[in-house]
Amino acid sequence: MEGTARTARPLARLRSLPAVLLALALVAGGFAAWAGWDWYAAAHDDSAAYAVQRDRALAAGEQAVQNLNTLDHDDLDHGLDLWESSTTGELHDQLASGRKEFAAQVQTAKTVTTARVLSGAVTELDDRAGRARVLVALRVTVKAPGGKSTDKDSRMLGELTRTGGQWKLSALGQAPVGGSSAG
Amino acid sequence: MPTTRHTLNHQRRRQAREAASPAPAAPPARTPEPPAPDRAGAARAQRQATAPGKEAPSRDTATRATNPARAKRADPVRDTPRPGRIRRPPRSVGLALLCLLTLVLGGFAGWAHARAQDLRADPAVRNTALTDAARTSEIKGQTEKAVAALFSYDHADPAAYEKATKTLLTGKAVAQHKALLDAVRTRADQQKAVITTTVTDSAVERVDGDRARVLVYADQSSVSTAGTKASASGKGKQSAQDEGTYAGAMFAVDVLRRDGRWLVSGIDTFGR
Repeated sequence: MEGTARTARPLARLRSLPAVLLALALVAGGFAAWAGWDWYAAAHDDSAAYAVQRDRALAAGEQAVQNLNTLDHDDLDHGLDLWESSTTGELHDQLASGRKEFAAQVQTAKTVTTARVLSGAVTELDDRAGRARVLVALRVTVKAPGGKSTDKDSRMLGELTRTGGQWKLSALGQAPVGGSSAG
Repeated sequence: MPTTRHTLNHQRRRQAREAASPAPAAPPARTPEPPAPDRAGAARAQRQATAPGKEAPSRDTATRATNPARAKRADPVRDTPRPGRIRRPPRSVGLALLCLLTLVLGGFAGWAHARAQDLRADPAVRNTALTDAARTSEIKGQTEKAVAALFSYDHADPAAYEKATKTLLTGKAVAQHKALLDAVRTRADQQKAVITTTVTDSAVERVDGDRARVLVYADQSSVSTAGTKASASGKGKQSAQDEGTYAGAMFAVDVLRRDGRWLVSGIDTFGR
């Protein structure tokens, strides 16, 4: 008796079940459509791809600027190889052609130069052309043979070019001080 | 309710027929389960639906009887399978599929949402420097102006400087700026000097909503006008005979947007 009475309620509920299930399925479908669209939009966001390029260019630029301001007179070949691999275009050619002369200078001066990037930012980025300009604030420490080390802050301006999917430095200079009244 | 009565009638008949068997306990156990909205339930319902012949046909009919009159007249003959019964299995299969569909759709929704969140949470994407060109140049422009105003000082016109410090600074930048500029100001007053700061280069490092960080290269020129009578109109234009000194500086400023304007909220001089 009790057992059959208990079966009655689920049976009555059974009739509204399809409607409930259908509603649930529709709600789930709605969510799925929205989430799917949202995901697609996030994955195909042009500005997201641009942001990724920006950060890649900056990371490569900061690393390259640091590399070019790092040199140990005891490990010249390795250091200068790194210089050449961090650069491209005209800058690369300049470094390659002046390599011997420069190596001799550093060898006589016996200096160890290290650099630390304080901050960096991209000012311009042409994603298609593969060109970018960066500002890198650098603190360069030069250690002379006597053991004295001096710190110097450098305001670097770099130009990057993308070659073979990699950003490399194609020009590097310091922001001039008080010169040419650049506003 | 008619269903219950029908079931009761049916049970009584069964009990009469098979007096020895433990029939009363059996029916509830054999009651077709309502397809639960979970996968296991759905699967069970499907299994039952695929083998209707093995289930007690009478109970099956009981669930379908909706007409009280018919329920009263019910006799063993009417419990035999009728063509209408064939529609029962597709219904539970349909419900099971519906459950499955709901689960699949729900699962996909959750997964896709998580993927989208992941993509957006990427720090590279959150930073809208350059990607939001309008905002980036707005920040750049206002920061350059603010820095020029905050780091320039004319001994003859201290009001302009005071105004800049009051309107362009906020938070901890107030104290930082004071620490950087107070000594410079005192000296400028003594030497009747005009200090002019020009931003030569700047780049927006990061933009995150109403906060941003800008790297600034600036040149500061100090022109002493001690010899000549200082005039407000001649600001920065006294030349030649006055010794002019230039100094290059680099620092980063944190800015935040308030009432449509970007205010300096922090000055990072990189430990100098």
